Amino acid sequence: MSALGTALVFWPAAILMLVWGLYVFRTASMARAGLLLLGALGLEGLLFLALASQFLGVLMILMMSGEMIIMVFFMVMFMSDPGGLMGMDMTHDKRRSAALAAAIGIGLAVLAVATDWPGAVVSPDAPDVQAIGYEVMGRSMFSFLFAGVTILFAMVGGVLLAKEGGRLGLAEPGDGTSRRDERT
Amino acid sequence: MSAATPFAILLVALAGAGLVALLEQAVAGARLAPAAIGAAAARRLREPLTLPASYDGWLYHGAPLLLLLAAVAALATVPWTPGFRGIDLDSGAILFAAALAYVTPAVFMAGWGSGHPLAVVGGFRFVALMLGFAMPLAMVITAVAAPAESLRPADIVAIQAGVPMALVQPYSLALWLPAVMAVALMPPFDTATASEELAGGAFARYTGPEAAIVALAQRVLVLAVSGMTAALFLGGWHGPLLPDALWMVLKTLAVAALLLWAGRRLPRLETDRLLILAWKVAIPGSIAAIVLAALTTLLFYR
Amino acid sequence: MISLPVVLVVAGLMFAIGLYGVLGQTNAIMVIMGVELMLGAAMLNVVGFVAYAHPDAASGAFLVLITMTLMAVEAAVGFALVVAAFRHSRTAEIDDLTELEG
Repeated sequence: MSALGTALVFWPAAILMLVWGLYVFRTASMARAGLLLLGALGLEGLLFLALASQFLGVLMILMMSGEMIIMVFFMVMFMSDPGGLMGMDMTHDKRRSAALAAAIGIGLAVLAVATDWPGAVVSPDAPDVQAIGYEVMGRSMFSFLFAGVTILFAMVGGVLLAKEGGRLGLAEPGDGTSRRDERT
Repeated sequence: MSAATPFAILLVALAGAGLVALLEQAVAGARLAPAAIGAAAARRLREPLTLPASYDGWLYHGAPLLLLLAAVAALATVPWTPGFRGIDLDSGAILFAAALAYVTPAVFMAGWGSGHPLAVVGGFRFVALMLGFAMPLAMVITAVAAPAESLRPADIVAIQAGVPMALVQPYSLALWLPAVMAVALMPPFDTATASEELAGGAFARYTGPEAAIVALAQRVLVLAVSGMTAALFLGGWHGPLLPDALWMVLKTLAVAALLLWAGRRLPRLETDRLLILAWKVAIPGSIAAIVLAALTTLLFYR
Repeated sequence: MISLPVVLVVAGLMFAIGLYGVLGQTNAIMVIMGVELMLGAAMLNVVGFVAYAHPDAASGAFLVLITMTLMAVEAAVGFALVVAAFRHSRTAEIDDLTELEG
């Protein structure tokens, strides 16, 4: 992609991504929050495409759709006010967290601009699909296998953790929060 | 890819959607009436936009556009002839799956945004269905790409100059067709959007131009999955005597006709049975398909 | 035009937004969303470095793949924890999940 093409994709996608990312935490509707996060991370895939990481960009767009739609499900499940119609406040430490986040964002930005990055700015020419394939099945194969095993552990562990009477167990009867109280 | 490609793709989308609508009439056994399709579309476009009583504006109005965007993006990855390959990316086959993955949020947005309980249930149904069927879709693409050693759809077509992939990997085709029918909102997998289910499901509350966009996007989806099936499994533009483009068009229309015909003949299953089909049959089957595809590649393609 | 510092600034701002979500939200799922944004910022950083500093480094792309895996694993285990906590005390608000506080 030419430098102009990169800029034409990068700027709108980056700005929209940041705005939507911020609105994830400003909107009251849980469905909107999840879908905005999906939009922000999908746009990040577009940024990858603009930065010539074609395979990663397409993969990001593909993966985030499934992952974030599951996220929306859990939001709607575990939120007392999924539609955002009751005006429930879901924030705490609003001022302090915003200040800290702003400080860290500004700090990172200053760091990024002030550092003298090595190497002249080259025209983006990221590794193609085949090079990534050889990397995965060659030098980094052990790490990749490890990632696969990690996912397997996460799946088994997640199911064990989430099943009825799982790791944390059910609450003691009589403390008002237990499901056993509701049954009796 | 030249500057004219996007316009050519849009033209293919519009013309193809019309052809798919004609095929629907033919499959239903009705008399072919191209004028009726145009009249219905015009009536939709003139219809006033009536909004549901309580709805989420951004999601409600965004859903048809996202659905159309996903459909056209999926169509754009289909290689039609050696000269007209759409968006010809190294990872174009993955882009096809990625574009189709956005049908799910679109249907969910429509369901949630409509603010009607049955529509919300329709959106949830479709998400549950696609969580099961998106996996076989992506894995079958991997299985088909293995012999070509490339994720570029045009390369996968090129490797089928001798034998079409449907003969080499019939099991992959058997896994692929239900998955694409599910993602294209076609019966018998349309329990989220069919008019007989859930009082119309996720898209029931759309009227006027937005309903027209939804209908158009559904036809484009059918066209996109049929075109990709023709390219990945039936050898794309390869064929004797006739010119390349004509072969591709014929194969695409044949696949679309088959899918539409099968959709009318097969009974709708309940969502839980469809999910059993997806998780217990299609996903293990597609993992096996990848292993078999690797063996096939090593034995016959090297 | 785009250069490496621009990409890094965008990634830094995205990280800050994610941090704001993690610190400021009370619902556990929203906190997971914040973490996803922070991981996304890390990935954008890596892609920027690959594009502008090491154009031929496939290991950078591999790091992004691993981070995507991490995002999925983090979400899966996070959801499982939320489900377990919800079964135990009927809430997913982290302010109410205070049982380990002495």
